[in-house]
Amino acid sequence: MLRTDHDAPEVRATLRDWIASRAQDADATPALDGVRLFEQRVLTSLHLPELILLIERLRREPVDVTTLTAADVASIDAIVARWFAPGADR
Amino acid sequence: MTAASPATRTDRLGEVGLTWHDSGQVSLRGPLLALLRDCDRAFLALAAAWRAVDEVHPALIPAAALDRVGYLDSFPHLANFAVALDAGDANLEAFRAGEPVDPDGQVRLTRLAPVRELLTPAACYHLYPQHEGEELGPVRYLTTRNTCFRRETHYQPLRRQRSFQMRELVCLGAREQVVAFLDRARTLTDRLLRALGLPVTWEIAHDPFFRPAENPQRLFQQVHATKQEAVYGGDLAVASVNLHEDHFGAAFSITSTGATASSGCVAFGLERWLFALTDRYGPHPATWPDVRAAARQALDEAAAP
Repeated sequence: MLRTDHDAPEVRATLRDWIASRAQDADATPALDGVRLFEQRVLTSLHLPELILLIERLRREPVDVTTLTAADVASIDAIVARWFAPGADR
Repeated sequence: MTAASPATRTDRLGEVGLTWHDSGQVSLRGPLLALLRDCDRAFLALAAAWRAVDEVHPALIPAAALDRVGYLDSFPHLANFAVALDAGDANLEAFRAGEPVDPDGQVRLTRLAPVRELLTPAACYHLYPQHEGEELGPVRYLTTRNTCFRRETHYQPLRRQRSFQMRELVCLGAREQVVAFLDRARTLTDRLLRALGLPVTWEIAHDPFFRPAENPQRLFQQVHATKQEAVYGGDLAVASVNLHEDHFGAAFSITSTGATASSGCVAFGLERWLFALTDRYGPHPATWPDVRAAARQALDEAAAP
């Protein structure tokens, strides 16, 4: 369990911009952070591989998709907690 | 559970109505056909719990409809196309004159007419284009059965066939309605299997995508566990519960109270239920359980407080 060397606010901003650029009716504001991205169809299945690539690029480490669950990518909050928060499992 | 070899099992079931064809298909008659019909009536009884509207659709489905939902991209290896000869007189004469079938049974085709249709790969694929552009209100429940066709690398009687019967129950509506339907459908299916004494495990599954590593649908299915199967005997899926999200609703502009409809289905492979029942209870009809009574029991249990 290592503390991330990435800045979570920057990560959040990058995720918001990326999601807003692909979704209809989604603004890159902090209000997006708690939105259930796939359940609420902000993103679709076609976006998932790209999202994982983005997470990998931001954390500079591969994501093991064999253990990935829906909860890990449910929202920006969930992504940050899973991959980027201090103490997150890396 | 019997431990008969596949060949012995097929021979024994021959006495109660099974004929296995080298093409990977079965013919059914007598007790086994009656059992298949009883299974379908049991599934219809479950469908009645939602007052699902039954629909009958043809054997062929337009390739363009399947292409709109990515079927030909995701499953080209499973596709069976409906082909016909070009109707030109000279072409037909050339076909007839050329000994149409060779000694190996292979057809010596001459020029083909444009191919526009496939043999149905899954029963529910017909429902979405059928309801294209419709506003369904809060929720709509449908059911349909069809003979489905899949090209596989190998076939086994009642387990994996080139053509087989599939009954599906489908819910179209708001996502929460669909999720609730799938949850209840899984419970009812599980109760039916228990009432029949068929032990299964529910497992997260995925469809057999072509080049799965390259297919985002495959990854999404894995991560979001959108497909669950009731697995009998460790390796035979007799039912699957599938959340499609808005994949079909978006492709065919189907809406539910103004928003793109989500959908989900529960699918039953009828021949596989015959396999499970005859594997569990043997080839003698007198020992088979009453499938329709088991469906009533499952529904009664589900209705009990």
